[in-house]
Amino acid sequence: MGFKRLEAEDLVISTDSVTNPVWSNNNPTLTEFYTSSLQTISSTGEFYYSIYQNDPLLNDNSEVQFSIAYCDSEGSGSNFYNVLVTGSSPTKSNYNQYKNLILGDENEEFIFGGHTGSYFYAINVDRARYKQHLLPGTMT
Amino acid sequence: MGYLNNQVVTVDAILTKKGRELLARGDGSFQITQFALSDDEIDYNLYNPSHPSGSAFYGEAIENMTLMEAFPDENQIMKYKLVTLPRGTAKMPILDLGQSNISLKQTAEKTITPQTLNYLDNNQVFESSGYIFTISDVRLFSNFTGTGVDEEQATSLNSTTTLGTNVSKTVIGTSLNMKATGVNTLFGSNTQLQATLTIVGRDSGARIQIPVSVKKSTS
Repeated sequence: MGFKRLEAEDLVISTDSVTNPVWSNNNPTLTEFYTSSLQTISSTGEFYYSIYQNDPLLNDNSEVQFSIAYCDSEGSGSNFYNVLVTGSSPTKSNYNQYKNLILGDENEEFIFGGHTGSYFYAINVDRARYKQHLLPGTMT
Repeated sequence: MGYLNNQVVTVDAILTKKGRELLARGDGSFQITQFALSDDEIDYNLYNPSHPSGSAFYGEAIENMTLMEAFPDENQIMKYKLVTLPRGTAKMPILDLGQSNISLKQTAEKTITPQTLNYLDNNQVFESSGYIFTISDVRLFSNFTGTGVDEEQATSLNSTTTLGTNVSKTVIGTSLNMKATGVNTLFGSNTQLQATLTIVGRDSGARIQIPVSVKKSTS
């Protein structure tokens, strides 16, 4: 869910930096990963899988930690939106979405270490987890 | 940023660092008076006017996309805003600085005067309302001021300061005057500092972003 109540720690009252662990319950390390069968079989499951810290069917406190999206320039890896229009699919939308966001030019291609990448997996950390931004170098 | 549920219409609102700062003042200075629309995530190559099912399906791939949560980094979001241009405009205006990056030595000065190309049928290369200049880390400059726009807002923005905190600064003008910092302690063990300069045309909405570096003086 996009809405999150504004808490006291969200207010800037000094120039001090405030850091805390990114995962739920202030856990610095995520060791277990669960998907929700309700989400993966829904229409959003065509685009990405949401990953929880525990089984969302058994725990009321389950929260989305991050999502994984497969992105493919040719649309491979998911069903076409319409069988009459081959090549147009959720994974192609994902690829073009990240291309526009990161490269800012729909005519450019992703270059990974000198190699043009036509597909990749994107990990999207939920905003409720990281608040302002992730600390570079802390994700291993 | 996670994903928004595309099964419902969602308005996802967040405060930027600047917004939180204004709210924290508690003096009524936090007031939302304007809004902007953007389409950063949308690749219009996905629009398919040849769709065999008809025009109602031309936007199928775009309308089914899952959108991401907003995130409070002005360098990464709201880069391509909705703008009003004359009817019949064939090319989007773009900004030209004549250089792709800026590199200054400590205490060196530089003036930048952007030009807008493809604007108003190419009859004008300067925007009468000026440009918005944002530097991602104002500590790199002892002077970062806009000139050429005589407005109360422009004057006010020029006077904002930071007490050594890594924050951005935004000014308005037809030109930008910069002077690289002379403070050595900022560099630590680094030989140069990096920042990003973002320039937006106030009339055209055209936008450009270039890297800026300040090199430490060795003598």
